[in-house]
Amino acid sequence: MIIVDEISSGYGGGDIIRGISFSPGDGEFVGIIGPNGSGKSTLLKSIAGILNLSKGIVKIEDLDVSKISPKEIAKTLGVVPQETAISFDYSVFDIVMMGRHAYIGRFSHESVTDVEIVNQAIDKCNLRHLAERSVNEISGGERQRVIIARALAQQPKVLLLDEATSHLDINHQMEILNLIKDLSGVTKIGVFHDLNLAAQYCDRLILLNGGEVCSSGLPNEVITQKNLSEFYGINAVVSVNPVTKKPRIVSLIESGGKTGQKLKIHIISGGGSGCEIMYALYECGHELTAGILSIDDSDYSAAKSVGIEVLSVMPFSSPDGAMLAKLSEVISQSDAVVIAGMCVGDGNIVNIEVLSKNHDIPVYVIGDFSDFTSDGKLTDSLLKIKKRINYESDLSGLSSKISGR
Amino acid sequence: MKKKNILVILILLVISVVSIIFSIALGPTEVELSTLLSIFLNPSGADQTANLIILDIRLPRILSAFLVGCGLAVAGAVMQGLFKNSMADPYIIGTSSGGALGAAISIVIFAGAGLPFFAFIGATGATLMVYVLATKNGRAPVETLLLSGVALSMFFSAILSFLMYNAGKSLHQIVFWLMGGFWNVGWTDAFTGLIIIFASVFLLFFSRDLNILSLGEDDAGTLGVDVELLKKVLLVASSLVAGIAVAIAGAIGFIGLITPHVMRLIVGPDHRVLIPSSLFAGGLFLLWADNMTRTFFNEMPVGVITAFVGAPFFLLLLRRRMRA
Repeated sequence: MIIVDEISSGYGGGDIIRGISFSPGDGEFVGIIGPNGSGKSTLLKSIAGILNLSKGIVKIEDLDVSKISPKEIAKTLGVVPQETAISFDYSVFDIVMMGRHAYIGRFSHESVTDVEIVNQAIDKCNLRHLAERSVNEISGGERQRVIIARALAQQPKVLLLDEATSHLDINHQMEILNLIKDLSGVTKIGVFHDLNLAAQYCDRLILLNGGEVCSSGLPNEVITQKNLSEFYGINAVVSVNPVTKKPRIVSLIESGGKTGQKLKIHIISGGGSGCEIMYALYECGHELTAGILSIDDSDYSAAKSVGIEVLSVMPFSSPDGAMLAKLSEVISQSDAVVIAGMCVGDGNIVNIEVLSKNHDIPVYVIGDFSDFTSDGKLTDSLLKIKKRINYESDLSGLSSKISGR
Repeated sequence: MKKKNILVILILLVISVVSIIFSIALGPTEVELSTLLSIFLNPSGADQTANLIILDIRLPRILSAFLVGCGLAVAGAVMQGLFKNSMADPYIIGTSSGGALGAAISIVIFAGAGLPFFAFIGATGATLMVYVLATKNGRAPVETLLLSGVALSMFFSAILSFLMYNAGKSLHQIVFWLMGGFWNVGWTDAFTGLIIIFASVFLLFFSRDLNILSLGEDDAGTLGVDVELLKKVLLVASSLVAGIAVAIAGAIGFIGLITPHVMRLIVGPDHRVLIPSSLFAGGLFLLWADNMTRTFFNEMPVGVITAFVGAPFFLLLLRRRMRA
């Protein structure tokens, strides 16, 4: 049980973090996130007792961390740093045994129990085959597992991770985070750079900015589009990972460049064909609408994730008269309509048919249609508006094309 | 501790004892084995000249050389661990330049009176000064210690040069001292040298802490090492050792650098093994270097031999490491 109560600290030149409090439940994995310079590592160092607190208190199992000896701290709290430079050729076993230092007296030697605990930690981290190798001969991912094994040999109640995986490849990152997440009975507090990993692995998140907590809670409460744009200053899409149900961030890359002209554009798409177009036009700062889309369509989720207004219907149902009237109204207020190549059948042909009612709106088509309509409805509809259709192949130039008119 | 490492230490111990005994027979004056035996078995009945040569000249010199070698190697091993750098030596934080300055002050101002004392005060005083200069808010980061050491060494060297420039006739005395040697050692020096053994045993009890410290200060702290206290202990004990070595024999180079480096290749980086094996190896190195100078090289300063042998050897190691 660890309680962080109103702590402030810094590196001697004033406080970097101010008044931070939280107390994770036993065994919980808490992620600390925030932009560079927000005080994430400072917070971790303060909890670990590496930095002295100017205010507040950190308690582990009712022990005040600032008042107990380094040995006592080492028995309750393990730290996994981002990277450990090991100058001399110690074996993996020797390094893990160093985790037992706090338990071995100055004038005694490691006991059978110590060796047993070290062996358990080595097995848990899948290092058995490397135990006698030098730490300087193994890969970065393996070395980080050694450092985790060393922390486990301390038998800590709390494990602190300072961006423990940020310089590793994705496979090693996940391997190590899986290992850490599965440590039962150990409370984990980790600083993360990668928000997707933080969301995926942590039970709770704490968002720091300017040395203060500005949001905390479940991953989906903390990782929101609003927080990302407010504290990280990025324009990103937060969707839900369909497998883990955790928030997932997709940052948008500036593609067309802002034209300065904000247009109203309606997008007609389906089955995921419109995502790219939506993101591209959204990036250019246009005001978008989309539809009509079924709410289980991936274009619907994409539109929602960037806050585009969507005309929607329930899955497998056709739009009623009111909805069609609304579509017609939305289109008539638009400066342009973009149609994404998609499968067109009798169910969604209404989206294209409606265009013939609004005579002067330019239409841009990107991609190819797959026609499943009866009686050649698609061909007819396109024929009716053929004078104002522009067929485009290049998504990146779309925005400037539309604006250029 | 691995069996192989215990064996290495035992072998070094045996070679040390044998070498010390064998060295007694070495020297410009030939002493018959029977005379040697009679000196130890029946001192009053033996040849008085041989008695004087063996007991008052050779034995204290042999023991001093061995102990100074031990001290330099142990202090070197500790400094390399503390600074996480196998290129560090016992003099790295001002010990040799401080000792040299102390010796020069004694020679120039007091005509050489109390030279070992001045050298000792200079050597340990320099280390203390470096520590004080590098400390802020109770912390002395090793990088700062290293840089302060370099800066202070240069400053002391400047004063030393000034003293040498004004030394006049006693210049050659300073130069000889700087090269290092055992011309004038007696039993007092050999007994003083025993402090080196005590300090080394003391340091041995901190060898596990030193292992962990060589992973970096932050890591060591989270593993339960009181880093600042440990640094103080290590600096005090190793500068005491190096200071005594410098006071006895002057600033002899390369032993403190080479010995721990070579022993690390043989026994590995664990200081629990590295410190005792460096101790014997350093003692042996300096003992044989001194045996050579007093037997074959007409009392050339021993520092010349250690550097002459040590530097190429060191380069060889460096090349090998670059290939690896």
